[in-house]
Order: sequence, then structure tokens, then C-alpha cells
Amino acid sequence: MAPLHLFIVNKSGGLIHHRSLGPKAPKIGTNDWLRIGSTFHSLHAIAAEAGPVRLPGNKNPYGADDGIEFIEAGGIVLSCLQTRTGVKFVITADVDTPDLDPLLREIYVLYSDCALKDPFYELEMPIRTDLFTSAVDALLERFESRSTKSSADRPIVRF
Amino acid sequence: MSKSSASASGHALWSKMPKANTELFALTYGSLVTELIRDYDNADEVNSQLDRIGHSIGVRCVDEFLSKAEVGGINIPPCQTMKDTADVVARIGFRMFLGVSAEVANHAPDGSAFSLFLYDNPLSIFVELPTAEEAAVISGGRGGCDLSKIKYSNIYCGVIRGALEQVNLKVDCRFVRDV
Repeated sequence: MAPLHLFIVNKSGGLIHHRSLGPKAPKIGTNDWLRIGSTFHSLHAIAAEAGPVRLPGNKNPYGADDGIEFIEAGGIVLSCLQTRTGVKFVITADVDTPDLDPLLREIYVLYSDCALKDPFYELEMPIRTDLFTSAVDALLERFESRSTKSSADRPIVRF
Repeated sequence: MSKSSASASGHALWSKMPKANTELFALTYGSLVTELIRDYDNADEVNSQLDRIGHSIGVRCVDEFLSKAEVGGINIPPCQTMKDTADVVARIGFRMFLGVSAEVANHAPDGSAFSLFLYDNPLSIFVELPTAEEAAVISGGRGGCDLSKIKYSNIYCGVIRGALEQVNLKVDCRFVRDV
């Protein structure tokens, strides 16, 4: 019930940010990360073309390109938010983690507030802004406390 | 998007943005332009520098605009025509960042151009540019910067150009008339 990894891909497919979001996240080396980022970018583009149901103009209701939004696998889920400017925010999480979409949108807001407004940050380059990292940390803490609070409210039935 | 819903969205987004003092903003911009005039003796050069600065701002503004609109629950549907783009830029974009709405008019018949009218320009509240004769007197015939040719708010052109470039729309933005 926890997010595992976050990675951000720029519009040309290069990885600009990656981090693990919890203790259960497996360790992945930097080169593997770069490969994952560019592979995902290509898969996203191919999925947009290969999808049997084509939205008008190849765009989803938010105006971002048609493509991979959500992958559900055996032990993991992957959620992707593509912005209209071409940046992709991808989160992997345990199965049954709720609210990944609002989390991604909040991360987009943090990206625009912390990373883009940093005067030393160049567009499309890896994000090395401390403010962004700590803001994402704070966001995750709020997310964790919100999800543990809501699961505590649910009645637990034991046999 | 209908005009009133666009204005309402713009207003809603504006209310969520952190505010700065208008005078501080205008005076800071004024000192920036003054420095540029001192550095470059040529009005065209100053205008193109302002456009370049605006471009860097615009490419970052558009992500902020889109992200805050999504989180604020305001759905900005994909623009089908240039007219939609114009409305979004003028009514929501300008409203969100500057608090003033721009008016859109003069759509070209093939839909490839439009005019934006900014009635309330927060950058130029303290500014008066000299006329051509006065500017000649000021530069004293030295062949320095011709102040009457400076497009004081040229930064807006750069911002619009940069912002639309990030959403894959290549535009050319120029000041047609400045008071």
C-alpha cells in the first residue's frame, strides 16, 4: 500500500529525475534507470499509435497525447501522467495503493513550482534541486498519513 | 470554453496564486529595462533581449498554468482552433499571472492570427516613453539608444511565444501598438 518509485521523463525521452519513495522499493542502478526511462518513453509513444480505440486528434481529454496511463501487473501498478508539454511523471506502487492520480498531479505542481522556478535549472536537464526533493518528501508524508488514516477508519473483519 | 467560464476560471486561479506588490513588480521591471538600455545602446537589441527573457519565462509559465489548473479542478479542454488558444491565453493565462484580463479580437480569416488587447498593463504604470523628437534630444545626437523605439513591454511577446512553443505551437508575437 505504498508508492515505490517515481521517475520523470522529459519530452525527448531522457530521464530527468528518479527516486525511490519508500523502504520497500528495490534498488536500481543509474544506468538501469536511464534505460527504464527511455524504454518507457518509447512504449508510451508506441501505445498511442497501437491503441485500437483512437481518440480524436490522438489526444486524451486532458489534451496530453494518448498513451500509457496505467499498467496493472501481478505485484505492482504503474501510473503515468503526461502533461501537454510532453513531460511524463511515472509512479510505481504496490497493488491497491489508492489515489495515485492526484499524487501525480501534485507532483506536477511541485515540478512547476520548485524545479522550473529554480534559476539554475535548465529545461530538459536532470533535476538537482533540493527544494523539489524535500517538497516531494513532504508530499509523500502527507500522502502516507492520509492513506493510513483512511485505512484505520475501515472496519477490519476477522474470522 | 464560454467567455464567462473562462473568466471565472482565470479569476479562481488568480486567487490561488501568491501575490506580489504591483509597484514593486513594476519598478523591478523598470530597473531591468533601464539596465538593458544602459548595456545595449541599440533599441532593437534591447527589444530582442526582452523577448528572449520573456521566452525563458514563458516556457516555465505554461507548466505552472497547466498544473495549477488541473489541481484546481479547472478543466481546460484541448484547443481545437487558434481562437480557443487565444481565449485561453487572454482570459485565463493573463488573468492567472497578472490579474488583468486581455481582450481578443481581430481574428484573421484563416484563423492563423489574432490580436490581444491589454487595457491594463501592470508593468507600465509609472512609465512614459519619449516621443521621437524628445528621444533625439535625450540621446543628444550621439547615436545612442533611440528611446522612442523601445517596446517597453516586449517581454509579453516573449512569454506568449515561449509558452505556446512548449505546447507545440510555433507563433510569432509582435507589438502592433503601444500607448
